[in-house]
Parts: sequence; C-alpha cells; structure tokens
Amino acid sequence: MFNPLRSATGERSAGHLRVLADEELMQLVYRGNADAFEVIYDRHADAAFSLAMRMCRQRSLAEDVVQESFLSLWRSGARYDRKRGSVRTWTLGIVHNRAIDALRRKTVRDRGVVSDEGIEERIPARERTELEFARRDEARELRDALEGLPEEQSRVIELAYFGGMTHIEIATMLDTPVGTIKGRMRLGLTKMRMALGDPAEVVQ
Amino acid sequence: MSHDDPQDVYAGCGEDAAPYVLGALTDVEHEAFRVHLESCAICREEVASLAVVAHSLPAAVPQLSAPGEVRDRVMATVKAEAELRQERTPRVLSRRLGPKHTAWRLGLASAVTTAAAVIAIVLALGGSGGSHASQHTQLIRAQVSAPRGTATLAVSAGHGQLRIAGLPQSPPRHIYEVWLERAGKAHPTDALFTVSVAGNATVAVPGSLAGVKAVMVTAEPEGGSTVPTSKPVIVAGVS
Repeated sequence: MFNPLRSATGERSAGHLRVLADEELMQLVYRGNADAFEVIYDRHADAAFSLAMRMCRQRSLAEDVVQESFLSLWRSGARYDRKRGSVRTWTLGIVHNRAIDALRRKTVRDRGVVSDEGIEERIPARERTELEFARRDEARELRDALEGLPEEQSRVIELAYFGGMTHIEIATMLDTPVGTIKGRMRLGLTKMRMALGDPAEVVQ
Repeated sequence: MSHDDPQDVYAGCGEDAAPYVLGALTDVEHEAFRVHLESCAICREEVASLAVVAHSLPAAVPQLSAPGEVRDRVMATVKAEAELRQERTPRVLSRRLGPKHTAWRLGLASAVTTAAAVIAIVLALGGSGGSHASQHTQLIRAQVSAPRGTATLAVSAGHGQLRIAGLPQSPPRHIYEVWLERAGKAHPTDALFTVSVAGNATVAVPGSLAGVKAVMVTAEPEGGSTVPTSKPVIVAGVS
C-alpha cells in the first residue's frame, strides 16, 4: 500500500511533502522533520500573522508572537491531537494565546481599542489558491455573521477575542455589569453559530 | 474529581463558557473554570458548542502576508535544532542506556524531590515600594539537580522566563519540558527546549503564573509529555 509519508526511495523531498495533508505532516514534525515543518509554516503563517497583527496592532510584537508560536509548534508537535481540531485551528489557538500573553503584559491603555481602523500595514496575501478562495468565502460568511449581530454583542466579542481584554476590563470600559457582558458574549456566539449553519440551539 | 469537591459549586457555572472560549477570563478564572470543566458535563458541552465559532474568528480578519524575515528566523532555528537532534542521536545510540539507567537522572533529581522544602530566594529589583508592581522583575533562584547547574526564574507582570546555565544535555532522544505546578498537580506547557553546548538556555514560560506554586523542568521523550515521566531537574518555587 502506498505510504504517503515515504517516496519510493525512502526520501521525503519537499515536493512530496507538499502534497501531504497537515495531519500527516505533523507526524513528521513530531519526529523532527524540518522540511515538513516548513510546509506547515508556509500554509499557515499568513493566517497566523494576520491574527497576530489584528490583536497586537504593532508589527514587531506581531512578528514576535508568530515566531514564538511556530517555534512552540515545532517543539511540541506531539501535543497535536487531530480529534480536537485541524492543524490550522491548533496553530491559530497557539497564536491567540501567545498574543493574549503579550497584550496582557501591556497596560490596557497601551493596547488601544479594537475598531475597524488602525491596521496600517495591510498587505494583500500573496497566493490565491483554490483553498484560499474557499477560505475567502468562509471569511465572508464569518464577517457577515459577526457584522449581523447587534452592535453590543459584536463589540464585546471583538474586544475579548481580538483585543485580548478580560470580561472585567470590558465591563469597566463599557460601564456595564459583568454578567451582562458575559451574556452578550454567549448570545453573540450562539447567534453566529446559527448563522453559520448550525441551528441546533434556539436563541432567545 | 468527586462531587464533594468545592470546584463543583463553581460560581461561574453556566455563564463562563463564552468568555472562556474567547480567552476573556482572567488567568485565575481561566484556570478555575478549566478545573471546573473536568466535573461539569453541561459546561463542557457549552464550551464545545461555542468553541466552534470562537475558533473560526481568525478567518474574519484581513489577510496579510507574513514577513519573510520571520520565516527566515523561524526556519533557521528549526533547522539548527533538527540538525542538533540528528547529530545527537547516533552518538546517543552508541552508548544507549537501558531503561534502568534513567536512574542517574532520578538520582540526580533526588535532591529536588525535596521540592516542598525549596527555599526560593526572591530578589526584588527596581527598588522597594513606590513604583508599580508591573515594573518589577523578581528573580527567583531555582533548585537545580545538576551539580554545576544554575537556574533563575525572572518574573515580570505575572509572566516568567527561565534563565538556565550549566545544565547537562537532555538524555538521549529526550528534551527538556517546562511544567507549572498548580494545586499539587503538574500541568504541561508547550515550552520544550534543549540547552546549548555550554548548557545554557533562556525559556519563556507560557501563560500566566497566577495560581502557580512552582515552575519545574523535567527531561521528557522528544515531543514532550502530558504527564511528567521523570523527576524534575529544576524547581523554582513561586510564592
């Protein structure tokens, strides 16, 4: 049976590696294969940097977050469990956590306020593969779902997820009870889930 | 976890799942909720439901190209570490130790088994009082099992960095892993590292030190472990 991890000669060239799925590549990363890691990096670095830039709003900090995140991925590849989600989700989860760590080292005032403005270094992603087009569709649906929320719900989700703010900080900033903030987060996420095609739960 | 556990009456039950998946709980709350999840099926279900949306949020941001310099830096480190692993493996295999020989490590670490008696020396820098706590760096001298090894945990704004010197190379096909001890339990981190030829390393401790009693380092099989498989070689008590 054809083993996708190994060519006829036993070599695993970069060309061969690029046809492998992320999950197969992670098996090689776990074994210390730098070429396999390079493919993983190339597939997800743009998304990682985009998230880091949105959260950090400072290029040097975002670069540090991306660098730390991918080195962490390289050194802890064994932790990846495909049952808990895709490699992309896992990678972006690491980036999100690292960015939150970085943001919380700064004062709230230094972090700035999340808005649709402020990304000064907007650069178009270089490749537009079919997968990228599919991801753009997904992104459009997601933005529609987020923008379709009442402003008070989308705002707390953005401040929390992209701004790295705690619910307490958001409550203070908006002069709103903590319980209300948590409720808006839950309601907003639930509505988005329904909008994205999972109507399993009725939203009040 | 038994039903008598006080965590079963966690105050945020039923309402903290959304801030949890968004990363909006404080570090202490996050850890408490994580523990609560182990005993609350309702919250676990809520988290699973909402996490699907939270995990998709990165797709909503404008897509940028990652700078080439970052790629260069990351790949330079990765390739160097990959080569180091390859170089070490044959040498290691030629004098491979049997499982029982891991005892050397355990023996060395025995001094550290008195971790409970660790006396952390805390040196507060930046003067005493007057300035903001976030501007202080605390240096905590850690217990190190290696005879000539030293390690210091630098704590600033609730986050830590381990500065290590004179630590032996990790055993064959092993790597050093950083652990956080909370409530008597060692929690794994994604900080895995090797030391330089001189035995030096500087390692950022992932996450917050809130609620952490000690930062520890063990030697683990390559790729890391989810539970420690050897006794710690470094223990830094965090008050």
